[in-house]
Amino acid sequence: MKHRAASIAKVTGPIRALLNRFALLFLIIAAFAIMLLGKADTLIVERARSSVVDGVAPFMDALSRPIATVSEGVDRMSRFFAVYEENAQLLEQNARLLEWQSAALALAAENSTFRNMLKFVPERGVSFASARVIGDSGGVFVRSVLINGGKVDGIHKGDAVVNGDGLIGRVAEVGLRSGRVLLLSDLNSRIPVVEEKSRIRAILAGDNSQSPKLIFLLPGARLEVGDRIVTSGHGGVFPSGLPVGRISSIGERGIRVQPFTDFYRLEHVRIITEFPGQVAGQIVPSAARPPLQK
Amino acid sequence: MITAAIQRIDRAARHLAPFLTSVLLVMFSALPVYLPGYGQVAVDVGLMTVFYWAIYRPDLFPAICAFLLGIWQDILVGSPIGLHALILILANWAIMSQRTFFQGKSFAVIWWCFSLVALAASLLSWIIVCVLNEILISPAAVFCQAALTVGAFPFMAWLLARAQHAIIRPLDV
Repeated sequence: MKHRAASIAKVTGPIRALLNRFALLFLIIAAFAIMLLGKADTLIVERARSSVVDGVAPFMDALSRPIATVSEGVDRMSRFFAVYEENAQLLEQNARLLEWQSAALALAAENSTFRNMLKFVPERGVSFASARVIGDSGGVFVRSVLINGGKVDGIHKGDAVVNGDGLIGRVAEVGLRSGRVLLLSDLNSRIPVVEEKSRIRAILAGDNSQSPKLIFLLPGARLEVGDRIVTSGHGGVFPSGLPVGRISSIGERGIRVQPFTDFYRLEHVRIITEFPGQVAGQIVPSAARPPLQK
Repeated sequence: MITAAIQRIDRAARHLAPFLTSVLLVMFSALPVYLPGYGQVAVDVGLMTVFYWAIYRPDLFPAICAFLLGIWQDILVGSPIGLHALILILANWAIMSQRTFFQGKSFAVIWWCFSLVALAASLLSWIIVCVLNEILISPAAVFCQAALTVGAFPFMAWLLARAQHAIIRPLDV
């Protein structure tokens, strides 16, 4: 009996070893195949990804809360020591803002009289969804975050994501209750922007560095360090006028923009689910839009 | 009869422990930490766990585990799907094939070998991502991540050793 078992092992041993070797080869090929599939047919991979993330989102949501609380506590402590300087700064800023406020009020009054004169029809408002950041991109090759909002919250793929400081990025994948936001610094991010004053158009292209660069500028476009960049709304994916950042350097590495948002501090974000000119995530060509009431 | 069944379940659960701890640790590593710049060079937890288990308990961490862990990491982190799967299988295979070399070696030697594996993994993933995106990415962050991962390895190894003692050790006696 023992002898027989040994002889069976003698036969099956090499076969098993061979299978093991092929298993490795098979897995390597599978990894390559999945990578190519992800490159060629993003829809399948996206769907699979978002359904898995949907499943773990509640856990990550719960786990990320204590970390956020600790980080908030540390932040509060460190601010406590800077309270004097900050107060002086804020007083100064407040004085400056009061001046701006009176200017804004005057302009608003003037604007409303002009609107009355022109019988201007106000555009429909913007609607938002709010979400918490539950996952960071723990990687070198992607700049994205996971959020705990999805289709049930009215979020669609492609929606613009903002916080109090300005534009963060766009929704790249969306599941039922979770989504992935591609930050504007990611190398796959391309956002149509415009310089606020001169209205010079460009595309803001991420390259995984802290400050994305402006591409497709018209030759001879004059831009300066410190110019404010906002979304242009061209292509209709994003609303126009969302603050993006400031030109931080102009040089050999191209024209770089420092975003207004600190990407590492993201905790709560707002997703623009609907804005004038766009209905339920679909970009509506202006000819097909319902006629404005006269 | 029932105790035998419970024992069997207990055994199976302990056998799965290396894979499950790795899955959990990768999930923890994907949580936001609010440190400036950390998200871009976050340590590669998947690689550390695969390396550790391939050396200390290769019987409980076959290539398929490395593959699944890689897919899991790709899904959570948002990297091109299949990238970490490939890296982790290759790392797993590289260590398995040198298993006899690692036997009885001191931790310093193992750490040194890990730094080589981490460097090779970074280089390979950098090349793959550059080819996939048809763009030259600055390699600085990639090597910064490799350095951080190598620096964090002793801590991770200590953590995993605790898990190994607590959960898997009872299997051996």
